[in-house]
Amino acid sequence: MNQDYNLPNRLPGEKVIKVLNRHKLILFFRFFMFCALAIIPLGFFLIMMSRGYLNILNDLVYGPVIILSTSGYYLFIWLLFFFLFSDYYLDVCIITNERIIGIMQKGFFSRTISEKMMSCVQDVTSEIKGVIPTLFNYGSIFIQTAGEVERFTLFEVPEAEAVRELVIKIVEEHQSKIEENNKQDNE
Amino acid sequence: MVISLSLLLYIYYAFVAVWLIFSLICAYHLLRFSINNFVGFFTTFIFIAVSILIIFVSNNYINQIDWSLNFSLPGGSFFNF
Repeated sequence: MNQDYNLPNRLPGEKVIKVLNRHKLILFFRFFMFCALAIIPLGFFLIMMSRGYLNILNDLVYGPVIILSTSGYYLFIWLLFFFLFSDYYLDVCIITNERIIGIMQKGFFSRTISEKMMSCVQDVTSEIKGVIPTLFNYGSIFIQTAGEVERFTLFEVPEAEAVRELVIKIVEEHQSKIEENNKQDNE
Repeated sequence: MVISLSLLLYIYYAFVAVWLIFSLICAYHLLRFSINNFVGFFTTFIFIAVSILIIFVSNNYINQIDWSLNFSLPGGSFFNF
């Protein structure tokens, strides 16, 4: 099923091993925030109804202002949720047998794609920090590559330790293949 | 200072126009860069459906208002030099 993904610049013989989004809890938090924002006008409406201020909706000025601002508010939070979902869904890390590709959507007009070859990976570190990440088993993964000062960082990755072990296993397999090829070349 | 009620409607339309531009950009990103096409299309469909619902309900209320009326701002005499 992983092969169905649109892998950017697929290398010959490259196979997708794992596709990672941020933990689903992050999406849940965003959905919860959307729900909380969505019920605020309903709360105001109920307060106005309980105190008998509902006649204000028939006012010449306040009525239209309330209707237009409520409509604008709901359009805004709906777009905000759509944007937050896009941000969650488009932030992807693809682990293949050849490389690690990190795709990050930052705002409406910024998109970063970075990739590291498995042969360049020197060190992989996972970090699960805090109560909620510990309970729900997600965290950050730092990948140090040769010849690069900056680390390749994946945030809020589910099962960070398992992913770290997976990357190490792929790197080791990659290195053993290179060693075998070198031996064959020498022979 | 007397202001036409329709001014509020024009401000709302301007907001909707800006909202529409950002919506299109967001939908474009999701459809263009989505790694699984079905999720991109499905989410965009849900977004458009709910947006149409919000605009339809809003329009029902907006049509009930007489936008040709005028109102005066409180303390309007301050602006009448």
